[in-house]
Amino acid sequence: MLRVFDIALKDLHQLMRDRTTFLFLLIMPILFTLLFGYANGAFRGSLNDPRLPVGFLDQDSTWLSRSLHDQLAASEVLRLQSRLWISENDLENQVAKDKLAAAIIIPAGYSHALLRGEAARLVLIGDTGTTVGRSIESEALTAIIHVENAARTALILEQVAGERTAFDFIFSKALTAWKNPPIRVVETTSAAIPEQNGGINALTHTSPGMMLQFAIASLLTSAQVIVHERKSGSLRRLLTTSTNRWQILFGHFTAILVLNFVQFLTLILFAQIFLNVNYLRAPGATLLVAFSAALCVAALGLLIGILAKNEEQAILFSLVLMFALSGIGGAWMPLEVTGRAFQAFGHLSPIAWAMDGFKNVTLRGMGIESAWLPSLALLCYAILFFTLAAFRFSKAEERL
Amino acid sequence: MKTIEVQGLHKSFAEIQAVRGVSFSVEQGEIFSLLGPNGAGKTTTISMLCCLLRPDGGDALIMGHSICNDPMGVKSVLGVVPQDIALYEDLTARENLTFWGKMYGLRGSALTSRVNEVLEVIGLADRAKDRVAKFPGGMKRRVNIAVALIHKPKVIYMDEPTVGIDPQSRRNILDNVVELKNQGMTVLYTTHYMEEAQELSDHIGIMDHGEMIACGTHAELVRIVGELDRISLSVSKLTTHTGSETMLQDLRGLPGVHQVDLEDETITLLVADGHQLLPAIFEVAAVQRIKITRADVLEPNLEAVFLQLTGRALRD
Repeated sequence: MLRVFDIALKDLHQLMRDRTTFLFLLIMPILFTLLFGYANGAFRGSLNDPRLPVGFLDQDSTWLSRSLHDQLAASEVLRLQSRLWISENDLENQVAKDKLAAAIIIPAGYSHALLRGEAARLVLIGDTGTTVGRSIESEALTAIIHVENAARTALILEQVAGERTAFDFIFSKALTAWKNPPIRVVETTSAAIPEQNGGINALTHTSPGMMLQFAIASLLTSAQVIVHERKSGSLRRLLTTSTNRWQILFGHFTAILVLNFVQFLTLILFAQIFLNVNYLRAPGATLLVAFSAALCVAALGLLIGILAKNEEQAILFSLVLMFALSGIGGAWMPLEVTGRAFQAFGHLSPIAWAMDGFKNVTLRGMGIESAWLPSLALLCYAILFFTLAAFRFSKAEERL
Repeated sequence: MKTIEVQGLHKSFAEIQAVRGVSFSVEQGEIFSLLGPNGAGKTTTISMLCCLLRPDGGDALIMGHSICNDPMGVKSVLGVVPQDIALYEDLTARENLTFWGKMYGLRGSALTSRVNEVLEVIGLADRAKDRVAKFPGGMKRRVNIAVALIHKPKVIYMDEPTVGIDPQSRRNILDNVVELKNQGMTVLYTTHYMEEAQELSDHIGIMDHGEMIACGTHAELVRIVGELDRISLSVSKLTTHTGSETMLQDLRGLPGVHQVDLEDETITLLVADGHQLLPAIFEVAAVQRIKITRADVLEPNLEAVFLQLTGRALRD
């Protein structure tokens, strides 16, 4: 067992001294994630603010309307955009052109009507027939309910207390109490909600896509270590020691596994911190998928290293597989936008399963239960690739 | 107990019989050379003795361990110096020795001290932290040999370790081989250089076309050709000369000539008294108008033995 780690450590030493390793493992996936994310609409507005952009026009201009503005501004779902000298027509145009997801207008007299106990209505410009529209409507209603109920509570108690200053205090207290409701929804999405297009979700796709694509591309360095060991005669020499073939196979496999798993963890943390891709919404699920994907990629790297007759073939095999598996598997474009037939075909690629696993967490908000099937599929691919590699290795031994 | 005992090894690759019934034995502390031209089966024999190839027939015992039934036992007592530099060139000399030491089962402080010791022995202690890729060929060879010695094996195989290196490095390697013997190691050495076999070996096995055609000490082998001298004649344009075949016949007809062999532009004769026959040989060449550019008279050696046994020169 120790020899497995010795061989793995030796491989890692060699790989760490090759600058190409870092290029393919870290630099390229980060660059391509940002590039493809930008191309697919990420970074519109604030890089760190993925909320739905909603226009806001306060025609009432009272402390109550400002309270409502503050409630809406604190929302985790929508991001208010209010500008001076913008009109109702301007907001309608922007919503129609999809520059805003919706717009909320507080008409003049809203607060007055509310405080008099009369019906007070806001104007919501948007398509409440869509998921986005319904989300915004729901969020707006929630804010309105909080403010209206706080106002009504304060009114009632003011009448009881009979002093003006109590209204402000009670209103403020009532509004604050809504921050700790008796029931709090933790998960707000489900697999039943279709994936939303738009810049907000671009990075949740490109981040795992590029991470997986360049994990395969990085195999060109790992595979070259194996090829060079065979060509230099070091493998033959290794077989004259007490080291057996399984130790050699597992040693190389372990090195690639460690390298790729560390790559995944690094890129996941990068995306979590800097790109707001919420991998750690369900850390167990993310880790399980990442580890399974690393097993699969490591086995593939071992197979490439054993099949390739020289360094050039190792590079060729790695790059061809990178393009083929990434393209088919949905690393570039979501398989969800393709037809059913292509989605089924795409799942011949292990990339598709890994994408499913990651996006179940980041996009669909699912938990550990959503990671089992993709991880099992990736594990099956790992076993297949490793078995082929072991078989080919035993055949190659005679030719050493 | 003999350190190495080889009994009737056979190995074929498809239709080609690479090794045909090779048998020999090596005593402890001895240097045994396997001598033969390229393609004679030396490397295939060594590969079987390293347990890299499974014999089709026969067996060998290395310090009592069978290559067929106990390959791990064989590998535990063995050090192998391959013909090519088999090192990880992007690792340093120290890292290479440490890694290979681990593969041979050394650990911890024992490994560290042994690596330091070996680096001193091969004179690379001050280059221990340099990558092997930066070393000149001679230094790489030294590290290549050092790897095989890291675990103090009882038996060491050296597969043509001096091929393609400069004379000074070759001299160093040959001196190292003798030193290994002085330290009590048993050395199995393959080469196609007759001079190396003559200089180093206690016993020599001559292989050709997969067979062991002769085996013994240098003196015993040379006695095969008796007291015959070898005359080597370099001639120009012999193969295109119309009188070449007549000349060879005339040479064979000279008294005292036992064998005549033509290879490229060199005629090799085995004769009773080389110096006495030279004038007659030159006369034959003059009659046929063939120009002799060089003539060497050589005392009996392994080259002559090989020529006698196979009808061909040892060198390709």
